[in-house]
Parts: sequence; structure tokens; C-alpha cells
Amino acid sequence: MTEMEPRETEIDSLLRRSMAGPVPSLSPDFDRRLLREVRRSSQPLDRYRRILLSGYGLTSVVTSAVVMRGYGLDWGVISVTILGPLALLAAAGWARRALASSKALRASEQ
Amino acid sequence: MEADSQLVARAQSGDQQAFAELVSRHSAHVFRLAVSILGREFIPEAEDVTQEVFLKVHHAIASFRGEAEFSSWIYRIAFNQAVNLKARVRFRSPHADETVLYRAAAPEPGPHRRAETAQRDQALAECIRTLPEVYQSALRLYYWLGSGVAEVGALLGVPENTVKSYLHRARLLLHGMLKERGYSCD
Repeated sequence: MTEMEPRETEIDSLLRRSMAGPVPSLSPDFDRRLLREVRRSSQPLDRYRRILLSGYGLTSVVTSAVVMRGYGLDWGVISVTILGPLALLAAAGWARRALASSKALRASEQ
Repeated sequence: MEADSQLVARAQSGDQQAFAELVSRHSAHVFRLAVSILGREFIPEAEDVTQEVFLKVHHAIASFRGEAEFSSWIYRIAFNQAVNLKARVRFRSPHADETVLYRAAAPEPGPHRRAETAQRDQALAECIRTLPEVYQSALRLYYWLGSGVAEVGALLGVPENTVKSYLHRARLLLHGMLKERGYSCD
């Protein structure tokens, strides 16, 4: 510390005396409790989202297939119409994840 | 030892072990920062803040771009979280004097002298509470929790010279406030 003027020295020693006391620390099992809470707060939501999305996707595919078949479309055309956009979605998701991980890798190298 | 940035990259790809390692590295620092903002009366709340901070970090880690240090990011979240909580708990504060709580055990020459010291310590604690948050936090980290200037700077996200300046100004302000209230500092 730089040199202090007299009034600062006075308050400095008063602060040292007055603020001295036991230093608190986290509970010993804090990390374990926290990680349990992290799992609790993230897992059910993910599972719920996955079930919801899967249900929605499946219903959409079946409905689309039934409607298109009703219009007399061929099963080949129906497959391409349904699977084409799904393949595009999967490719976009994969590209996004690849981009994110390469960014993270670049950050870790800095 | 693996760098924080590498652990963050692994945590971003869903590695819970990496996140656990980040928690183990930073939880004590986050807690100290929270305690320094909330004060002695709110140590359980500081632990709650620490938990909240890591839950937020876990939720938002995918959006962390690594433009700043992970520790700076997490300390900024902790500072804001603790300041917000302090604004809420201030209304239900028991008005306990944080210094007097630990003075009772210290040997004093006599009851009169002890009462005087307790009064002055109480006045000092009240004066500290009127200072800006960063001054209060710097004071508690430095004088109570025993952090060095470098650690205070890292936790508050400011250079060491700024910490010295915070401490200097806080001391002068406190000296003036105590004098105004009729207390001497010796």
C-alpha cells in the first residue's frame, strides 16, 4: 500500500480492529448440493421438451402423410416431402453445434 | 491444470464434470464477494446468492463467448445478484451491528470503555453502510476477509490502482463521518 496520511492511518487501524472477526466459508457440502440442484433444474425440463417435441413431430408427420395420401400422392413423393425438410433441420442443427464448438475451441486457445 | 476456457468449452458441450470443476474453482471466491456485499448479518443469504449465480451460469454457459475471462463474467453476475438481494433484504434487516457481534468476545478494560467502543463500532458500521457498494465491498474484503488488493481488484473487476483509490476514499470518508458524529479514531 502507498504511504497514508495520519488521519488515514488512524482510521486504518480502527478498521482493522473493528472489522476483525471470524471469516465465513461455504458449507462443506455446498458443491455437492449445488450440482444436485443443477441436475434437478435442468434435466426435467430437457426431458419434457424432448417428449413434447417428439410428440409434435410424430403427429405432424402422420397427419401430413395421411393428408397427402388422401390427395392421391405416391409414397415416394410423400417420403421426400416429409424427410427432406427434416434432413435440412438436422443439418442446420449439426452446423450450429459445430460452429459453437469451434468458437469455444478458439476461445480456449486464446 | 486445465485452463478455465478449456473447462468452459467442455461444459458448453454438456460435460458436467467440467462444470463441477468450474464450481469447485470459483465457488469460494463468489461466496467471498457475496459476503463482502451483504455483510456479516447475511451469511446464509450469501450462500444462496452463490448457488443462484452458479445456476444462472449453468443456464447461460452456452451463450458465454469467451470475450472476457470466465471469472470476470461470473463475478459480475455475483456482484449484481448480491446487490439486488441486498436491496430486497435491507427492508427486513434486523439492524444488528455487524461489528459488535464479534466485539463481545474481545477483552476490554471495563464496562464503560467497552460501551464506548461498542458505540463507536456501531457508528462505524452505520457509516460503512452509507458508502457506495463498491467501497463497502472493498473494505469488507480487505479488512474483514483478508483479501489482498489484487484479489479485491479481480473480484470487483477493476485494476489494483482503482482498489487502492476506493480504499483511500472510503477511509477518508469514514474518518470525516466519525468525526462529525463526535468519535475519535484512535
